[in-house]
Amino acid sequence: MLKRTLASSGAAVFAVVAAIASAHAEDAYVIGVTGALTGPSSSTNGPPIEGLRLYVDRLNASGGINSKKIQLSILDDQAEPSKAAANAKRLLTQDNVSLLILSSLSSTYAPVVAESKRANVPLMFMGAVCPKEVYPPAEALQFCTTAYAGGYDSRATLAFVKATAKEPVKLGLVAMAIPLSRGEIDYAEQHAKTMAMTTVDKEVIPPPTPDYTPFATKLKDANVTWVFSWAPWVTEVKTFEALRRLGWQDNYIAWSHIEAESELARLKDNKLYVIGANSLFQDRLPVHAEIADAVKKANVRYPAEQMTEGWIGGLVLEAALKKVGWPADAGKMRTALESVSVDTKGLRGGPLQWSKDNHFRTRQYYRVYRWDDAKSAIVQAQDWTPYDVQ
Amino acid sequence: MSSRPAASGYFRTGYAADLALVGTRAAVMWLAVFLLALLAFPLIASPFQLDLACQVFLACIGSLSLMLLTGYAGQISLGHAGLIAAGAFTVGILFREMHAPFWLTLPAAGLVGVLLGLIFGLPSLRLRGLYLAVSTLALHFIVIYLGGEYETRRGFSTGIMIDPPQLGSISVTDGRAWYFILLAAAAATLLICLNLMRARSGRAWRAIRTHETVAETLGIGIAAYKLLAFVISSAITAVAGALFAYYRGFVSVEAFSLFLTIQYVAMVIVGGMGSLLGALLGAAFVTLFPYAVESALLALPGAQEIASMLFAVNYAAFGLVMILFLVLEPLGLVGIWRRIQSYFLLWPYKQRPAGGARR
Amino acid sequence: MQLIVNIIVLAAMYALLACGYVLIYRVSRVMNMAHGELSMLGAYLLFATATLFAHHPVSAIAVAVLMSILAGVLVYVMLMRRMTGEMVLAAILTTIAIGILLRGLIVLIWSAAQQHPLQSLGFTNPSLEVFGGARISTCAALIVLMNVLVYGSLFAFLRFGRWGVRMRAAGQNPLLAAQRGINLHAIYALAWALSTLTGSIAGMLIALDSGLDQSMVVIGLKAFAPALVGGLDSLLGALVGALIVASAEVLAIHYVDPLLSDVVPFLVLIAMLTVRPWGLFGTREELDRV
Repeated sequence: MLKRTLASSGAAVFAVVAAIASAHAEDAYVIGVTGALTGPSSSTNGPPIEGLRLYVDRLNASGGINSKKIQLSILDDQAEPSKAAANAKRLLTQDNVSLLILSSLSSTYAPVVAESKRANVPLMFMGAVCPKEVYPPAEALQFCTTAYAGGYDSRATLAFVKATAKEPVKLGLVAMAIPLSRGEIDYAEQHAKTMAMTTVDKEVIPPPTPDYTPFATKLKDANVTWVFSWAPWVTEVKTFEALRRLGWQDNYIAWSHIEAESELARLKDNKLYVIGANSLFQDRLPVHAEIADAVKKANVRYPAEQMTEGWIGGLVLEAALKKVGWPADAGKMRTALESVSVDTKGLRGGPLQWSKDNHFRTRQYYRVYRWDDAKSAIVQAQDWTPYDVQ
Repeated sequence: MSSRPAASGYFRTGYAADLALVGTRAAVMWLAVFLLALLAFPLIASPFQLDLACQVFLACIGSLSLMLLTGYAGQISLGHAGLIAAGAFTVGILFREMHAPFWLTLPAAGLVGVLLGLIFGLPSLRLRGLYLAVSTLALHFIVIYLGGEYETRRGFSTGIMIDPPQLGSISVTDGRAWYFILLAAAAATLLICLNLMRARSGRAWRAIRTHETVAETLGIGIAAYKLLAFVISSAITAVAGALFAYYRGFVSVEAFSLFLTIQYVAMVIVGGMGSLLGALLGAAFVTLFPYAVESALLALPGAQEIASMLFAVNYAAFGLVMILFLVLEPLGLVGIWRRIQSYFLLWPYKQRPAGGARR
Repeated sequence: MQLIVNIIVLAAMYALLACGYVLIYRVSRVMNMAHGELSMLGAYLLFATATLFAHHPVSAIAVAVLMSILAGVLVYVMLMRRMTGEMVLAAILTTIAIGILLRGLIVLIWSAAQQHPLQSLGFTNPSLEVFGGARISTCAALIVLMNVLVYGSLFAFLRFGRWGVRMRAAGQNPLLAAQRGINLHAIYALAWALSTLTGSIAGMLIALDSGLDQSMVVIGLKAFAPALVGGLDSLLGALVGALIVASAEVLAIHYVDPLLSDVVPFLVLIAMLTVRPWGLFGTREELDRV
């Protein structure tokens, strides 16, 4: 009696879900994507997926790869671990994808990695921070195309600060109160010691903060001459703005997230630096024009300069599929990814190369940009600086 | 399950019948059919559907425990996600720090639940309604804060990974095995709740919910029974959290947002206050609802364009459904179900039965 | 010095948001958990009008304010009106559901990306130097000023205004008030309108000061602690509560651990709930009425 309804309603819903999920593409490469298209982290993770879709649509329009189309199965995980796990399961077991792409908050990694291992299908992080597992010696199934990565970012930033600063640096560090950002900033603090820089203040700021001034006050009172922030863009920029409002006039360097280009132009501040591994659209490379053109045609919700991450993901996917041939399976895909070498056409400082035990890239390049009042434009503060990944 | 005709022409004739776990022979039959269907489900289901079913079972455990507390004992709690987190983190910490096996971590999670239930329950002795809700909400934030601190301090920035539980030398990873484990857990929870409700405790809770002062004059120890409700409910919830941790293979603070609490409260509301069947229906509905919306949307033409708005649509639809239930159908799914049931039972006579009108 | 200014600014933000909770609770005993979302809606409306009336900031602000008042009234007339007399939990949950719905709609319409209404309006937000070398941004100063204005006029309105007195009467004893010919539904609608108005002003100013995104909701939720600490049915309480919570938060950031700023309001709240559940200035009998 008690459960009769459950039976009927449950069965009905399952039937609906089953009917819709069983739509299959017969004659195409099926690639699974799960990511935070929407939800709290969508402004970071949404654009890469859009960029990838844009790239793949263009590929399909020009005949696909090996004369087969690519079908992207995109599922939204809303940055929720449970949804990401369910998505991964669905893509792996129902759509039988040969590659899983993830662009979401770091808290979704663990369940998706677990699913990918269970199904023995490679997993590519794109537009979401690279986990340690892709550094050499890399885990067999995990790959990462994302620009930012713990450890190397801090090293490159601190080296730039050291080289640029004339007098001894009094360093301030800013993190958001999420485990990932805190971990990296703690690492930066350690690393600053070895570079003979003194860290005078470290602020860990909870994400929904009504007023950043109290945190900025502490930084200012500590007389910091350089501030380094490696956190989601909100925290980076709001702390900066609060510092400026307090009348603090020194240098601030932040990770160059996808919003960076428009934000530099909005803030117009000579001493705000952004460091990153992607070139900005103001460089006006042919590839930038190509992306802007594609964005214009496809009517995308995000501006063209946020498409870089997804575009690079698309380049890697294209290169891998060319090697895989037809038909594709997870095993072939893995072998193909292990020897991928992609010309990034200037979107990055150099080619993106993977090897058997390095699924991050053999060499990571960093470039620093800032706003220049005299030219009223964004300029390079430091050109590509390579770091070998070992 | 109060005195209400379970089938046309059947009325309970004694207290024993009112207390019986399963009423009529027809009910026994239907229950058997339903159980068989549940047992057969994994044979035909895809792994994705199995996963959905497992999620529903997990939600059932949580919603049953919340129903016990809110639906029967009348104590409002907005700390449900915090309790689930506490259970999950107990498993995570014990596993990471001392590689404790599941037969140790599960009881430990239950114990943590009991302790937290005492703490969550203490304000209820002094506060009622809104204020109680707020104090449990505050405790939620504290549990999450502590969990976050542990994660960061120990360097588990992308969550704590947990190996699947070991049964002898086999580790449980198979979807079907999980299906049966979680089904058994949900069934056990249901049985516990049913038994609690037909014993003295259930009557005491209902009396407290209806009128505290009257309950006290009837000789019911208000403080003890309120605390008991919190303790039992929290213990079950924490165990649900522990099972969640094992099932997903990881723990992370981001998985236990305030929205999770709201979802559980929604299960209780949508299902129908004061009914265990309602808790089950609500759990299934709230868990499957986003997937159903998603499928419906993706079936529309131009699906890929809508995909980027899915979250917002889902979110808005969820809010809308909650509003609709609260405003138009306060009795929830159970209310709808009962109406349909009595319509068919009494057909072709339109009169409602004496007891059925109320519930 | 800067510390004091920081406390005042944060307290002003909390107070401006908290009075919305108090207004509705005092009159209709409903805890409006959608207040954060309604404030955010106000801010987004301003952003929308700012892009629409690109060169007329004044008309943009006026239209946004009017629309947010309308939103508050609509929420009451269409939904909350039906919840009068229902269980507390049901009423609270309805407001939570309204909040969820609003959040979904806002993302649907404006996307989740960070917006800058200040720029769209064509304003700048220079910082001003106040006493002792401490600095305050123009928008933050405006928030403090607006607080004085809002609380001043609210006190005056409730004390001397014809409708203000009716509002107090409806809050004290709805039955008697109704028998004296006071239109309760009109009063409730007015409370919702005023609450949304103050909340939206707070939302708009905070958005002008530091940009606009979904985190506004959590700020609104945090402002709920000061309202409770001060006593849910007292405007003065909201003001004092905001000051207490803001000081605790800023001092914790400055002297203890910045991470604590997230939990401090709730710690203060728990302390208050154990010692004096009805809040500093609340009425004791309120407890049994909920």
